[in-house]
Amino acid sequence: MAEPLRLKAKSASPGIASGPAFLAEEPKAPSAAERPDAAPASRAVGGYSALEKAIDISIGELEHLADGADAESRDIIDFQIEVLRDPTIAEATGARMEADENVVFAWVATLDAYIGELEAADEEQMRARAVDILDIKNRVLGALAGTPIADFPPGSVFVGKDMEPSRFLAHDWSKGGGIALFAGSTAGHVALLARAKSVPMVVGTGRFSAADGDPVRVDGDAGTVVLKAGGMLIPSPAPARTAAADTQTASVELRTADGVPILLSININDPAEIDAIDPATAGVGLMRSEFSVASVADAANEERQLAIYRRVLDQAGEKPVTIRMLDIGGDKPLAGLEDLPALAASGLRGIRLLLAQPEIARVQARALLRAAVFGRLSVMLPMVTFPDEVDRMRELFREEAEKLGRRALPHRMPPIGMMVEVPSAALMLDTFGAAAFFSFGTNDLTQYLAASTRDDIDADAGKTAPAVLRLMTQAVKLAAGKPTSICGDMAGNPSYLPGLLAAGLRHFSVAPARRPEIRSAIIGLNADGTKAAGE
Amino acid sequence: MHVNCQTEVEVKHGVGLHARPSVTFTRLAKSFPCSIEVAVNGSDIWLNGKSIIKIMGARIRKGSILRIRADGILAEEAIRALKELIERNFDEEKKHGRTA
Repeated sequence: MAEPLRLKAKSASPGIASGPAFLAEEPKAPSAAERPDAAPASRAVGGYSALEKAIDISIGELEHLADGADAESRDIIDFQIEVLRDPTIAEATGARMEADENVVFAWVATLDAYIGELEAADEEQMRARAVDILDIKNRVLGALAGTPIADFPPGSVFVGKDMEPSRFLAHDWSKGGGIALFAGSTAGHVALLARAKSVPMVVGTGRFSAADGDPVRVDGDAGTVVLKAGGMLIPSPAPARTAAADTQTASVELRTADGVPILLSININDPAEIDAIDPATAGVGLMRSEFSVASVADAANEERQLAIYRRVLDQAGEKPVTIRMLDIGGDKPLAGLEDLPALAASGLRGIRLLLAQPEIARVQARALLRAAVFGRLSVMLPMVTFPDEVDRMRELFREEAEKLGRRALPHRMPPIGMMVEVPSAALMLDTFGAAAFFSFGTNDLTQYLAASTRDDIDADAGKTAPAVLRLMTQAVKLAAGKPTSICGDMAGNPSYLPGLLAAGLRHFSVAPARRPEIRSAIIGLNADGTKAAGE
Repeated sequence: MHVNCQTEVEVKHGVGLHARPSVTFTRLAKSFPCSIEVAVNGSDIWLNGKSIIKIMGARIRKGSILRIRADGILAEEAIRALKELIERNFDEEKKHGRTA
């Protein structure tokens, strides 16, 4: 049993509370299947009228919260409603939309600018207002996506960087519980509310690790928080790890018949898919973020993305996780982005779309940079064709990291690698010096190599396989020892394994259901793809 | 009746215009159809008096001098009401019996 960990903090509201921890940055993101807004295009976000409607809904929700609230609560709600009715916000959002920004991103950019100003203010009284604006930003995004702000179990201790006033107000505190914030402020609205409602609260604990449900004691009198199961302070920002360590090391004992180590990872679309991660899995070789970030409102929601990515990293524990940036556009629309005429006409997809619509990429980059503190994260770029695309995206990550640094938000630069799924990129792989690692996407590679239509791709796949294998064999040589894996469908088909091993591939990422079969097949093969003797 | 008028008033409120007094001010300003603008301590930057973001961001303190101008329908009434609100200390004592 670990020693209890006692952390010094600042008292924001007196009293003592004990209860199971609720980790705020790990909300239970519903799986894509059960989300009301998951169906593509079913909740397309229209123009400004959709935003106005979401703002009206949010004001209505806040007015409802204000009913029967005490004076302090009403003050905070009144402030938030007044911000939602601020004429300059409508003007600034409108101006951004005229500059061709999507309505949701225009809203986010406008509020982020105010949040940034408040966070940079000299006075604590002003800085403490930033979370109030963040709160309404997310409330409106929630209204756009049709998802309400999540409550947490009564009696638990809220643990997080900061707390939104609406969360405090929507929660039932009659069962006890308390609040421990990594950052926070004794002058914040939540501290005011906590004192008014006699909810014990401490702020400024510094970031610490705890699991959901761990017993936590908040001592608002002494200004301490005690983690009964032990735990650790997380230094922020976390020390950087090398790219090689992040993408390659894993203590998973899978070897070919002749003893060559092989990594077998899984492909996932949603955090829920790794709830029961098999200890023999080498990690998540591919998380397709476009399935968890299913609407333009989610794509604009940094906090929700951070929660989703963090959940995956928490589930993966020590194992590496590679998250692919949104691969949208072309035949993969994102609900709500159809209203961008430039986009519909361009047919852009993958990294080209992200670079053409950098406001989408910037939100995701920030969420990924912040998530990287919580595990072994790598970021993969979709549909890369030319080396400068990798350079430009890395520059965008650097810019966002710098901004996060100025706001004192913990973050870490993850290794950034690329999908190899465009034939010209595969042929020129030695020119992609800026990519930290490569992963073959065989579905697109097959389609573009054989000029197949999307309908013919299955029929053509078998006939195209020898060409794809030859191309990959050459590309693995061009990768010159850089971490290289395969995450396309070919990796999940045992009949291609001999060819893939012969091509020099040693890291396979497959759908969780395909893993046992591929594992068995690898054990029966030599590293050169030949069958082991005795079979 | 379209008029244009202006006044000047000193803020006596203990901590200046933080969230709650700002809300009271902008709410009252929004109840008038005319445009309302505020300039602080002789500045020639006129801020939208109906914007909580602008008013709260203006760092109005105890002792700050506010110039308020209004243009349009009910401008005189607006100026008078806002000036009185500031002179009444934003009705803070009445509401909460404290000044924080």
